[in-house]
Amino acid sequence: MDIQAMTLNDWLGMFFVLAAAFGMVVTYVMVFRPSNKANFDAQSRMALDDDDPIKLGEKR
Amino acid sequence: MEANQATAVKYDMEVVRWFTIAAAIYAVVGTFIGVYAASELAWPFLNFDIAEITFGRLRPLHTNAVIFAFGGCVLFATGFYIVQRTGGTRLWSNKLAWAHFWGWNLIIVLAVITLPLGLSQGKEYAELPWWIDILIAVFWLTYGFNYIMTIAIRKTSHIYVSNWFTLGMIIMITYLHVVNSLAIPVDWATSYSIFSGVQDAMVQWWWGHNAVGFYLTAGFLAIMYYFVPKQANRPVFSYRLSVLHFWALTFGYVWLGAHHLQYTALPDWTGSLGAAISLAMIIPSWGGAMNGMMTLSGAWDKLRTDYILRFLVVSLAFYAMSTFEGPVMSIKTVNALSHYTDWTVGHVHAGALGWMAMVSFGAMYHMVKKLWGVEKMYSEDLVNVHFWLSTIGTVIYIVAMWVSGIMQGLMWRDYDEYGTLTYTFVESVSAMHPYYAMRAIGGAIFNLGAWICLYNIVMTVRTANAVRGTNAVPANA
Repeated sequence: MDIQAMTLNDWLGMFFVLAAAFGMVVTYVMVFRPSNKANFDAQSRMALDDDDPIKLGEKR
Repeated sequence: MEANQATAVKYDMEVVRWFTIAAAIYAVVGTFIGVYAASELAWPFLNFDIAEITFGRLRPLHTNAVIFAFGGCVLFATGFYIVQRTGGTRLWSNKLAWAHFWGWNLIIVLAVITLPLGLSQGKEYAELPWWIDILIAVFWLTYGFNYIMTIAIRKTSHIYVSNWFTLGMIIMITYLHVVNSLAIPVDWATSYSIFSGVQDAMVQWWWGHNAVGFYLTAGFLAIMYYFVPKQANRPVFSYRLSVLHFWALTFGYVWLGAHHLQYTALPDWTGSLGAAISLAMIIPSWGGAMNGMMTLSGAWDKLRTDYILRFLVVSLAFYAMSTFEGPVMSIKTVNALSHYTDWTVGHVHAGALGWMAMVSFGAMYHMVKKLWGVEKMYSEDLVNVHFWLSTIGTVIYIVAMWVSGIMQGLMWRDYDEYGTLTYTFVESVSAMHPYYAMRAIGGAIFNLGAWICLYNIVMTVRTANAVRGTNAVPANA
């Protein structure tokens, strides 16, 4: 690789490629971490439960 | 009933109702213009030598009507519906939502006036004059700000995955629309892009494909992740997969645009990069499609009786199919055959009719029942008729374009032993005629379904209002 020939656009492109790749790695770790499984699975019914009245001011 | 009455007080659903009705009307109008434009290609006398209704002017009117009028109103209706219900809160500003409704419809009216007059920037899916682009940015941001603030005041600790997809769409479309629309105005009707030559082409398709990726995919995936579980009354098959789906789509999609510019003046590697990432995107796309379909695990029998669910599930089949077809078409070897042919048109409509319109109709039927507080549509049988007309119309359309497109590609590149082209261009045009007629018929069948949808919704609303007037019971949301 010819570092000297790298333009600003090249560096920016490389930065975004690496940032996206790093972001995907972080996502995979977060999603597949066993300790997070229950937390994620608990949200799968969220759309089904929204007919229930919610007391304003309370987080559920 | 008690719960419904509680939600009726809590949510701002009147603007959602109006966006839903507007969407049903624009579905009819947008697809009708498409059918007429398609018919002009099959039977050119339909131009009647009137400049305003020639194909070149009707085509952008059709795409703007179905994408920004029909698709936009569906996205806004479902977006406001989902964010309130999954957040357990009203809209941050109901007045802002109404300003957005009227502003967006003003833009649609302006498009209906300017596009037939031939006012165009010549950028695909971004044809409207520069000052309308500014209005689009203003009212899009109005929506985005209201949506984000509604999430900020939610009463739930978790932000449901549908809202993530919508947020991704809002942020990316703001960025894409503003950058792609940067232009130097000359007068009220004319402007010149600040980009030139190959950069202009690259920016245009960076916008073009990401409009597909974030507006027509992420936005409608938000619909899918809410309405499929809701209609099936089943939890999302894998919530973890939905999170992966969102982030993979968000990180990956922005690289695809260059695959529209294979074999052009663009550096070769950009097209290859676009194709490589396109192929990689099959994984999250199919993961998401499978996630939606598997949500029906243990409830597949509902497809026999629940016609709304049919719309939603068949849309996922088309989503899976078109997200496989697109990457294959981006491969240079395939692109050499498919580019500039009707195969591309067929591919686009597999996504537009089969995926986006079908998932939209499913969501609209679901919402109409909730918004007007009725147990059933005016006619459940008509929902079924609409489903079959949409499915058959879409299949006829895309099959016609597949055959036509592949034939075009093969005819254009066929040459004899002396290296001379075997067919003139006009011979390829002539060979297309039966398929253009077939396409117009497929589109007309789909359009008929949209009319039935509008009729069914109007009658449902009228019936609900009549019952409400009799019983003096407020509408439930």
